[in-house]
Amino acid sequence: MSLLAIQDLEITYRTQRGICRAVDGATFEVPAGAVVGLVGESGCGKTTVARAITGVLARNAEIAAGRMIFAGRDLVGLDRRAYNDLRWRDIAFIPQSAMNSLDPVYRVGTQIAEVLTIRGGFDRARAGRRAVELFEMVGLNPQRLSDYPHQFSGGMRQRAAIALALALNPKLVIADEPVTALDVIVQRQVLDTIRDLQRRLGISVILVTHDISVVAYVCDYVVVMYAGQVVEAGATDAVLSRPRHPYTMGLYNAFPDLQRSGDLLVPIEGSPPDLFEPPEGCRFAPRCPFVLDRCQTASPPLDRTDTRHLSACWRTAEASELRNRAREASTWLHS
Amino acid sequence: MLAGRHPVLHAVDGVDLTIRKGETVGLLGESGCGKTTTGRLILRLEEPTTGTIRFDGTDIVGLKGPALRAFRRRAQLVFQNPFDALNPRFTILRALAEPLVNAGIDRAEHRARIERALSRVHLPGLDRIAERFPHQLSGGQLQRIVLARALVLEPEFLVADEPVSMLDVSVRAGVLNVMREVRDAMGLAAVYISHDLALVRYVCERTLVMYLGRVVEDGPTEAVVRDPQHPYSRALVKAVPVPHVDQSHDPLPIIGSVPDARDPPSGCRFRDRCPSAVARCAEESPALREIAPGRRAACHLI
Ligand SMILES: Nc1ncnc2c1ncn2[C@@H]1O[C@H](COP(=O)(O)OP(=O)(O)O)[C@@H](O)[C@H]1O
Ligand code: SF4
Ligand code: SF4
Ligand SMILES: [Mg+2]
Repeated sequence: MSLLAIQDLEITYRTQRGICRAVDGATFEVPAGAVVGLVGESGCGKTTVARAITGVLARNAEIAAGRMIFAGRDLVGLDRRAYNDLRWRDIAFIPQSAMNSLDPVYRVGTQIAEVLTIRGGFDRARAGRRAVELFEMVGLNPQRLSDYPHQFSGGMRQRAAIALALALNPKLVIADEPVTALDVIVQRQVLDTIRDLQRRLGISVILVTHDISVVAYVCDYVVVMYAGQVVEAGATDAVLSRPRHPYTMGLYNAFPDLQRSGDLLVPIEGSPPDLFEPPEGCRFAPRCPFVLDRCQTASPPLDRTDTRHLSACWRTAEASELRNRAREASTWLHS
Repeated sequence: MLAGRHPVLHAVDGVDLTIRKGETVGLLGESGCGKTTTGRLILRLEEPTTGTIRFDGTDIVGLKGPALRAFRRRAQLVFQNPFDALNPRFTILRALAEPLVNAGIDRAEHRARIERALSRVHLPGLDRIAERFPHQLSGGQLQRIVLARALVLEPEFLVADEPVSMLDVSVRAGVLNVMREVRDAMGLAAVYISHDLALVRYVCERTLVMYLGRVVEDGPTEAVVRDPQHPYSRALVKAVPVPHVDQSHDPLPIIGSVPDARDPPSGCRFRDRCPSAVARCAEESPALREIAPGRRAACHLI
């Protein structure tokens, strides 16, 4: 059973330039007890989806369509009060920069205690004990609870943000780019902590990242987004080793792999479309080496024939042949 | 030997580095290890307190006035973040011409030099972008502009400090390929600074691994990747994630986190994090010495 099911979600931003169609058809599921990677390049709508689920969208944002079924209840249209009850207790969010979840003027321990007392109804003594427990869980010395966020290194801040998110035993934690700013060694340690806690507590995690290596390391499932849409979703191994969407194939070629030797990295020429005036047809068409005439005019629906591995491409049936061609650098360099 | 400007920090000391024409050397390490300071020292953007830096036979440490300006023309820096490197209110033409103006190059030559630099980085001709502003270009185009800007003076030496870390993966590959081409076409010597071994490996024949201001390992990149010798290099190599599920999840052979650079441990600076440390490591600082032809490491146990 899925803990969360996102269905045909559409989110727009009102801006001076007009309407930005930031999320324009996102469908994916988060199974209970799984780590799901939400991956894609900057601007593809990852943070917008994450904020929508948590109920902390920007003021100029609007959910234009779709459903977000969490534990049997649709979160779309939920009022503020209901969201306040849900946030921290059921769904916790770790924003893109850990600095954003920690207030620089309060001691870290004070901030954790506040969530515990105000949101969780803990008394002060119990909150103190729980804060110590949380710090130990994420591998921080409880003595550091009396420090201010700036006294922490980047990795420690990220751990503190995780501790804060876990304070009230949520069922789902959404972490937005939790390791992007960290060096490899610290990154690995933080990912190990996330994975370890997720297993131990049996919770679900949505890990937002632009790095498919991070997905490969910790995620059970992966959802690939491109220009506001989900283009591919499935078990991590299937999506990374047998991608069905040309964008995923291209992304893989562009990634350096320390275990492979000497391969040429191949860029995907061009850039994502303007979300104010998205093109008709497939949004990847201007960059896709396999584009057909119909791709220019009709948008490919998310093919759900195989519910374990979804893909939104007119040529999904030919995926294995396209994969072979996609491995050749020349396929991408002369499109 | 090079030493940091601020006597207390000693961000860089004991760095001993030789780069040949046409060679790209990687400086690899975590933040705070002194990579960026080393890059700035090599370009004389920062003053070393002791030591010599020889460029083409001349010690650049004492250079002043015209001699320093002449050196600066031959050695350029490619910034990490294209959004910081370019003034948002200057047109692309002005950004590209700025180094030429500063170097006193005859105006009549500007256009030809700029066109040449743009074609090296595979950007369309100047007419198409001259009057645009940075915010009107994509990140990948901007980083190519930043690179072109470093090339207009036809330098012989380039320092690139995390030049692709702000770019999306799909365009990063293109910029890295351009850097490799430029190096080969111009016979540049270059230093590529990064915390990402996978990227360093893509552009550098040789890699220096730094820890708390010291070089701990130096060798052909391929050898460092396949068979790292220093305990810190071993942890670094193991920590790099790869884009497929078939990879090790074993704990890294390293303890704790980077200590305060102002107060490094006695003896070997890596000893409080080293799983192999012995008593001697606290007393004696290991020298960087040859461990195999073309390979050096600083560890008592090697
Ligand atoms: N508050 C906002 N107002 C207007 N546009 C926004 C706002 N936040 C994000 N956007 C736009 O929405 C799109 C998706 O952004 P985002 O969800 O942040 O993507 P990602 O997290 O994948 O980088 C982008 O085009 C971005 O410019
Ligand atoms: S639908 Fe067409 S353009 Fe879009 S990814 Fe598939 S083949 Fe490429
Ligand atoms: S000298 Fe000692 S502490 Fe330093 S790396 Fe070698 S074994 Fe470890
Ligand atoms: Mg984001």
